[in-house]
Amino acid sequence: MSDPYKILGVSPSATDEELKTAYRELAKKYHPDNYSGSPIADLAGEKMKEINEAYDAVVADRKRQKSQGGATYTGSTSDSGYGTGYAGYGYGSTNSSFSDVRNLIMTGRIADAEQILNGVPVDGRNAEWYFLKGTVLYKRGWLEEAYNSFSRACQMDPGNAEYRAAMNQVTNQRNGAYGGYNPNIPRTNGCSSCDVCSSLLCADCCCECMGGDLIPCC
Amino acid sequence: MFGYVRPQKSELLVREYEQYKGIYCTLCRQLGTSYGIASRLTLSYDCTFYAMLLFSLNPQCPGFQSGRCVVNPFKKCTYCNAGEKELIAAAALSVMMTYQKIRDDIDDSHFLGKLRGYVLLPLAAHARKKAARDFPQMDRAVSALMIQQRKAEQSENPGIDLCAEPTAKMLEQVFAMAVGVQPDEESANARVLRQIGYYLGRWVYLMDAADDMEKDIKTKSFNPFVIQYHLTAVSTQEELGNARERANQVLNLTLSQLTAAFNILDFQHFSPILENVIHKGLPEMQKEILFKKEKTNVRSL
Repeated sequence: MSDPYKILGVSPSATDEELKTAYRELAKKYHPDNYSGSPIADLAGEKMKEINEAYDAVVADRKRQKSQGGATYTGSTSDSGYGTGYAGYGYGSTNSSFSDVRNLIMTGRIADAEQILNGVPVDGRNAEWYFLKGTVLYKRGWLEEAYNSFSRACQMDPGNAEYRAAMNQVTNQRNGAYGGYNPNIPRTNGCSSCDVCSSLLCADCCCECMGGDLIPCC
Repeated sequence: MFGYVRPQKSELLVREYEQYKGIYCTLCRQLGTSYGIASRLTLSYDCTFYAMLLFSLNPQCPGFQSGRCVVNPFKKCTYCNAGEKELIAAAALSVMMTYQKIRDDIDDSHFLGKLRGYVLLPLAAHARKKAARDFPQMDRAVSALMIQQRKAEQSENPGIDLCAEPTAKMLEQVFAMAVGVQPDEESANARVLRQIGYYLGRWVYLMDAADDMEKDIKTKSFNPFVIQYHLTAVSTQEELGNARERANQVLNLTLSQLTAAFNILDFQHFSPILENVIHKGLPEMQKEILFKKEKTNVRSL
């Protein structure tokens, strides 16, 4: 195993707090949510595992150091906050009419899955068909048509949580939650209502120090 | 490419900015030595990014030294003193894409544009021939782009995804060559690089299309957004604004995939600059081009 500090991007002299922050940053970066439905989800999973192992090793090592004063990287028990076993949207739901397609998608045979889907006649295309078609298109990078397919699936079966989850993810990505630009959210820190109140209170305190009063009731 | 892939200068450290400039200037010099003086004019931020990405995957770190700018002898420039291989690859890409762009312009534009194209074409053709000899695989990928693009534009229902596919596929192949792999290799780095190339190409194509929306409505040129959002010469400002917002969402979705792929890659150096480009430079470009009130030309770095 290579140097766990290097994997986490901190120096060995970093404090526990810094270590935790660095770990959280990385875990956020490789979180399965960012990769669900992506053909490189497995690589992100490996990264996540690496980070978890490195963090566990360092934490265990520091614990031991505190009690004994020795320093070696061995043994690790997983107590980190994020899991790694994630395979996209919950594939393999029961009573699926397209279980063969789902299997193909799971094993990464996207072209075969698409071929079967395209062979389904138009009147046999139900909500699940549109969902799976969207999943296939998403993996191929045809993001707009994937989005349209997901929204069609949601329209046809509004109660289905699986379709809804896929739709929500794409909608968030479109709104810039995973990188990009959203014209409706100001990037600079604005002045929230909380800031207004606390500023007024401060001003009141200052006035009272000088013998005056800004807000008579407090 | 079109100069959309660049860092956000205000977020770079001075040291990082100098390094970026250094690669930029060295690429310019390399263009001159490899493909002739005229090919220096093809220098772009996009190819600088490509050169930088190639450098960052190589364990050997390039050093910098100072020298004089050839174009402006009174200016001092920093030059890289290593990494010829990476620079030549980026220079070749620059030359090939410019050549294809000129040919595309000749096909698309009217009298004056055609004339300009025919004047520039022999210069570009000479440089491109040389570049194609050095990188035959890259030339095949870039040449295929234009043919596929035409096919996509003339198809029955030119959707956004279909139109963006050729540029995306082209960069997918060009980026996969970065690690010297065959286009179909399945190593982890090759898979990630292909994804990065695909979504970067898609982003660049869509950004260009979004940028040209108004111009293309006027000149009745092909534009996937204009077709998809049913824009015409009589569309109101509000309809245009809506179209821009929707185009921005398409770009965001593309960028989310690009960021995800980019984060997996391990860089040996220049990672803060590359991260700046992907995480800040590209969103900034969307903001500049789609949401600035008065439209000015984006300033050079």
